[in-house]
Amino acid sequence: MWAYFKFEFFQFIRNKKNIAIYVILLYFACYYALKIVPTYNPIEKVDVSEIEARYLPRAEFLKNVEIDKGTHYLTSYAVAIFSEWNEYDKARLDALKKHNMKEYAEATSKWYKYSDEMIFPDVMNVFYYNPGYYTYGNNYAKKDGHYAYLYSASRYKGYTEGKSNLSINVFEERTALQTLQRLLDSYLPLILIVSCILFTVDIVLKDRRNPTLLQGLPLSDWRKLIIKGLVSLLGSLIAIIPLSIGLLIIGGRNGFGAFDLPVPIYSFGKDLFSNILMWDYLVQNMLFIVFWFLFIISLLLLVSVLLKNEFVNLLVGSMFVIAEFIYFERGLGAVRNIQWYPTSYVQVGQVISGYRNYLYGSEALTFGSGLTVMGLCTCIFLFFTFLISNQKKFKLL
Amino acid sequence: MIELKNIGVQFSGRDILKDVSVMFNAGEIVGLVAPNGTGKSTLMNVIMNYINPISGKVILNDELEYTNKKNEVKMHQLVSMMPDQSDLYNQISGKEHLKIYSSMWNSNPKLIDSTIQELGMESYINKNTGTYSLGMRQRLCFAMQVVSDTQVMLMDEVMNGLDPTHVELISQILVKKKSEGKTVIVASHLLENLEKYADRIFFMKNGELILVNAISPGFEEREITTVRISEMTDSIKGEISKEFPETKVRSLPNGATLLDVRGYDSGELGNIVEFLKENQITEFSFGKVTLNDLYSMYYQEV
Repeated sequence: MWAYFKFEFFQFIRNKKNIAIYVILLYFACYYALKIVPTYNPIEKVDVSEIEARYLPRAEFLKNVEIDKGTHYLTSYAVAIFSEWNEYDKARLDALKKHNMKEYAEATSKWYKYSDEMIFPDVMNVFYYNPGYYTYGNNYAKKDGHYAYLYSASRYKGYTEGKSNLSINVFEERTALQTLQRLLDSYLPLILIVSCILFTVDIVLKDRRNPTLLQGLPLSDWRKLIIKGLVSLLGSLIAIIPLSIGLLIIGGRNGFGAFDLPVPIYSFGKDLFSNILMWDYLVQNMLFIVFWFLFIISLLLLVSVLLKNEFVNLLVGSMFVIAEFIYFERGLGAVRNIQWYPTSYVQVGQVISGYRNYLYGSEALTFGSGLTVMGLCTCIFLFFTFLISNQKKFKLL
Repeated sequence: MIELKNIGVQFSGRDILKDVSVMFNAGEIVGLVAPNGTGKSTLMNVIMNYINPISGKVILNDELEYTNKKNEVKMHQLVSMMPDQSDLYNQISGKEHLKIYSSMWNSNPKLIDSTIQELGMESYINKNTGTYSLGMRQRLCFAMQVVSDTQVMLMDEVMNGLDPTHVELISQILVKKKSEGKTVIVASHLLENLEKYADRIFFMKNGELILVNAISPGFEEREITTVRISEMTDSIKGEISKEFPETKVRSLPNGATLLDVRGYDSGELGNIVEFLKENQITEFSFGKVTLNDLYSMYYQEV
């Protein structure tokens, strides 16, 4: 078996298509690190002028306002809430002047929490979240702002409680590890899963080019398939290497961050965030992505032995990646059991961070349920592949 | 040893193999001879279980059959088929190919170097096979099967693309394998070579496997059974029939004429020589019918 594994792996890394995928991933990683990362402009950034633009008029207002019986109720309301609000803004400005990052984090955490408490329940629409959320066509700007403010409050709280070095880059999530975290929350899992599909589409069917060389090997078809699957899994994991070059570039420019930085995790039922550490978040993502690789590989092994067509493999694999984009709707989780569809877990980072639950209006999409569904599907695919490949008349090639 | 029992194969309703039953013994070289498309490769594919026959079974060493995948692996550990040269991986070296086969069959790694040496492949074995000529590729395929070191070795067109020196070299290795107790089954169009080295030769026609000895009794014996005349006019043939009415005269599509002299004593053979000499026929030989002649008789229409 080991000899066959070495032989398959040797073929895998010499395969021109696979080499091309690694090169493209390396190119993307470098392009992202050198061109896209420098233009990253977070909505929630450390911006003194923005804080001052809010703080100074409010301070002026509080200094000059006179409250009497005839005062408009909104003026009274403003007086009531601006005092505390400005306290936090002032603390933030002072901390920045002193370059005291810990104090800034503490004040900012409170500021986000207080701001959300004021803005989210505001039915009169006199207060708004950061204008960055109110983009054209976004009907969920307020909900997005709510999530982002609670997320930021939790994150900054984590900074105050943690021991890692703080900096503006850390606050704006620009360090290498935080960039990785942001990417895991967006397209990186999709890129890795698509790479896995491309690595696996021909892992069985390529042997049709060398039938007489391989048909008579003294190894059962089932074992051959399992070894091919393992090679594909290893090859998919290796895809992380070219991508990590991009991280090294980002780390060199913006710092690497730390494995004990906080990552806020959303709990739907309580509408609350709690922090886990960066290393924990990355390990969970890695494990989840490995489950996705196993799911895709076992699926494509089954399709390979059933239909024996590389294009069909590509089509079936791609269907599982794009399916969620077809049925996704905000709040859908309240009416459909989306947690039973493996495709609902394709946005791996968002599932772990709880953002997917927030969007679906569900509490069912969790790390645990994801692993269960993906693992169960993988077992089913492998079971059928085992049955088929052990049929007396079955021919792999 | 490997036994085929009542093997039947049909493609599109046409019988390719019809109730074939035969036993291939340990320590023998078996030749399969037939025109292209008559079922030689199919027969080998059935032995390897690449094709499922509609009837019959393959039995190895009186105990193993292709009844399940587990047995298939066991049988493939003992039976191998020479790969086709067009299936080699062009981007890897010949030596890598040999190492793969050696490790897959868990054979003695020393066989790799000794086979390279025996086949004179040292100068190119470390180059990618994409740079090899047809003959070099063919030798590599043969070497791969040698290093797999299986009990039963199937070779389809093993001598293709080889020069006479290498045909002889490979033939000698086949003889060596035979002496090691292996069963070597060779399909080839090099009839003289087969005739020289094969212990038994089978023709294939209409889905049946026919032992050459059954077509031409005494083929495998060392006695004079035939006078072979390369070229002869019809009038002389007529005269021979008159002069020697007991002698069977047979004209072959390849132009040769065979006189059946089985059981003739030296006096009778002398009379025939005298007759041929009188008729200015100088190109003739005494011996037994050749495989080429039998092939011509059996497959080529007059």
